[in-house]
Amino acid sequence: GQTSLKSPQDIQVYVVNTNFTLRWKYIGNDTDVTFSAEYRWFEDFGIDGTEWTELPGCQYVTRKECDFSSAITEYYDEYHLRIRTERREEVSPWSSIFEMTPYDIAQIGPPGIELQSINGDIKIKVSPPEANRVRKMWIDDLSFKYSLVIWENTPNAKFRNQHIFPTDIIDDLAPDTTYCLKVQATYPLESKEGLFSPVHCVKTTHKVNVPFCPTNVTILALNMNFHLHWNNQYQQHVSYNVQYLSGYLKKLYDDYSIKWLNVPGCENITDTQCNFSSIITTVSGSFYLRVQAMNEYNKSCLSNEVKVDPLVTNEIGPPDVKVDIGDDALLHIQIYPPGGSQSQLMRDHYDLSYRILYWNNSSNNEVEIQRKEIKQTIGTISDLTPSTLYCVKVQAFSVVYNKSSDFSKEECIKTPGDKILPLIILATFVIAVFVVLLVAVPLVFILYQVYNKIKYVFFPSCQPPLNIEGFGGQFFNSPYRSTTEEPIENCSIIETIITEDLNQIDFKDCKHSKQSSRDSGNYSNDDDTSGNKASEETLEKEII
Amino acid sequence: MNDFGLVLIGLILCTTTTSSLHCNHLPLQQKKVIENSLQLLDKMGKKFPQQCLTEKMSFRFPEQVLKPRQREAVKMAIEEIFHHIFYIFSKNLTLAAWDGTALEQFQNGLYQQIEQLEACVIKKQTRVFQNKEVNRRKLKKYFKKIDCFLEDKQHNLCSWEISRAEMRRCLQLIDKVIRKI
Repeated sequence: GQTSLKSPQDIQVYVVNTNFTLRWKYIGNDTDVTFSAEYRWFEDFGIDGTEWTELPGCQYVTRKECDFSSAITEYYDEYHLRIRTERREEVSPWSSIFEMTPYDIAQIGPPGIELQSINGDIKIKVSPPEANRVRKMWIDDLSFKYSLVIWENTPNAKFRNQHIFPTDIIDDLAPDTTYCLKVQATYPLESKEGLFSPVHCVKTTHKVNVPFCPTNVTILALNMNFHLHWNNQYQQHVSYNVQYLSGYLKKLYDDYSIKWLNVPGCENITDTQCNFSSIITTVSGSFYLRVQAMNEYNKSCLSNEVKVDPLVTNEIGPPDVKVDIGDDALLHIQIYPPGGSQSQLMRDHYDLSYRILYWNNSSNNEVEIQRKEIKQTIGTISDLTPSTLYCVKVQAFSVVYNKSSDFSKEECIKTPGDKILPLIILATFVIAVFVVLLVAVPLVFILYQVYNKIKYVFFPSCQPPLNIEGFGGQFFNSPYRSTTEEPIENCSIIETIITEDLNQIDFKDCKHSKQSSRDSGNYSNDDDTSGNKASEETLEKEII
Repeated sequence: MNDFGLVLIGLILCTTTTSSLHCNHLPLQQKKVIENSLQLLDKMGKKFPQQCLTEKMSFRFPEQVLKPRQREAVKMAIEEIFHHIFYIFSKNLTLAAWDGTALEQFQNGLYQQIEQLEACVIKKQTRVFQNKEVNRRKLKKYFKKIDCFLEDKQHNLCSWEISRAEMRRCLQLIDKVIRKI
C-alpha cells in the first residue's frame, strides 16, 4: 500500500582521510523513524556493479548521520549509496542515488606538529595526516606540500604564509616572543587543501650572535664550474668546512640534519671560498650548501643555507669564434661552444643556440648591426660588399632556461676586392692602346706622304730658270745646235744667246732626281749621272 | 571534457614575468629526467636474480594513460608517475642492497623535476587535474598495488627487484611516448 513516510533527502558524504560519514535531511515531524542505507560498488571501473547491499554502520540509525568507513575498501572505485526511512513495518521509497569515488571527495586531514625553539628560531617537525595508520587514503605522503601560517600572539598581528618541509626551521623571527602557528597539508597538482592542524604556540628563545659566523654566502658558477664565496668579519683563527646535502632528502620525513656531507677539498680551509664542482656529479638534482666555521676554541657556527639548481644557477660563458672568407665570397663563422670539457653537457641540457651580431666596420657613418640566430656551430653570411671590413661577435643562449652568455671577442675580417674589375680595366686599356696604335700609325704615315707630295709639287726644292719658261720640246735639240750657226733666212734673226745660256745650265743642280739621262755623247757630263729623265720631263712641262 | 583536466599551456608555454621562477625548461628537463632515471635504474643493481622469477607479479600498468590524445595531458601523467616512483623508492631499501650513489642520484633527479613543476603550478595558480578522471585513478591503483606488494613481502630483495623491473618497464614506455611527442 501507499506509505506516508518520506524518503531522506539532500544526501551528503563527508570524508576525512578514511573516515566516511553519511549525512541526510528528513522532512517530517516523525520521531520514531529510523534510517537504513544500502550501497553497491563498481569494482575495477567495471560497468556492472555489485548488488545492493546493506551499508554497515548505517542500519536502523536514529540520527541523521552515520559512519560507514568499514564498508569502503577501494578508494579509487565508484560507489553508489541510497537510504530510506523506516518505521516498524513501513518503509519509504529509496532516496535518490548518491554516486561517489572516495578519493575524489576525500579531504586531507590535519597533520601533526612538534615545535622547538633553538637560538631564536623555531624548529618544526611535521608528521603526515595518516601517520601510523594502517589503511591510508593518501598513500603517497611524500607528495604533500605543507603550508604554514604563523603570527605573533598579539592582537591584530599580521599573518605570515610560507611553505615548509616536514623538518624545517622557521627563522626571521623576533627573539623572546610568543608565536602561534598552524599547518595544513596540500596536494598542489590536484589543488587539494587539507584541514589545518590545531593551533600551536611557542615562545622563541633569545638569539646568540656568533661573531665569526660566515655571512653573505653566494654562489658563482660559470660553465659548470661552481664556486661558493662567503664573508667573515672576524678573520682570525677561523677554519671552514663546507657541507652539502642532496635536495630530495629535505622532502623525506626522516631527520636530514645528520645527512650533511663535507665537500671534498673544502674541509678545514682558511680561504673564504670553495670549488664544489666535484659534488655536481649530475646536473639533474638540486643541492643545499652551508659553511661551518670553527674558531680556535672549537666553537662552531653554521651559515645560512644556499640552494643550487645546477642548470639554473650556472651561467653560460661566451663561445670562441673564428672567421674566414671562403672562395665563395661568403663569410664563414666557426663557433666553438663554451664550457671546454663540459661543452657537450651544456649543449645537450641547455639546448644552446647562437646569436651572431655582425656589422660593416669600414665606413665612418653610423654602423648598422645585423643579427642572425642559428643552432649549428657554423654560420655563413652572404650579400657582403667587397673590400669592406666586417666585424663579428657571437653569444650563446638557451631559450628554455632564459639564459645568455656574454659576447665573444670581436673578430674582424676584410672581404676581398673585386678581382674581375681591375682585370677588365687593364684589358680594356691595353686593347684601346693597341687599337689606337693600329689606327694612328698608318694615319700618320699617310699624312706624311701627302705632306711630302704637296710639298714637292707646290714647294719644289729645285726651281727652273725663269727664261726657259714656255720653251717647248726643242729643248733637247738645242744643245747640239748651239755651236753651229744655223742657216739664217732672210726673214728673221734667231737669237742664239739663249742656247748658250742653256749650255751653261749645269744639270748638276737637279741632283735630286734619280733617273739618269744619257747624253748623245758630246755634252755628257760624266760626273753628272744624276741628270735624269724625270727632271727633264718636269722642265718640259713647265716650259709647255 | 578535458582528459587530464586543465592543460598546462599557460604554465609551460608562457614566459614568466618574475625573474626568479622560470618554467619554460620543464618539458626539456622532463625528457632528461626520463633518460637519466632509466640509466640509473640499470646502474643501481645487477641483473634480475633468477631466484626471484617465481615470485613475479603482473601489475598491469594502465597504458591508456599515455595514449597521446593531448600532449599536455600525457606530460602531466608523466609528472604524476614521477611522484609515485619517487615515493616507492623512498621506502626501506636495505634488503635491496643497491648502489647508494646511483639511488641518491635517481631520487634527486626525480625530486628536482617534481619540486620545480610544483612551484610553477602554485605560482601560476593553475589547476592541473580535474578530479573525475578514470585514467588517473587507474594509475593510482597500479602504484598502490606495487606498494602493497612490497609491504606484504616486507621489502625483501625479490620484491624490490620485481618492483625495479616494473618501474624500468614503465619508464621505457614513457620514454618511447615522450620521444614521439
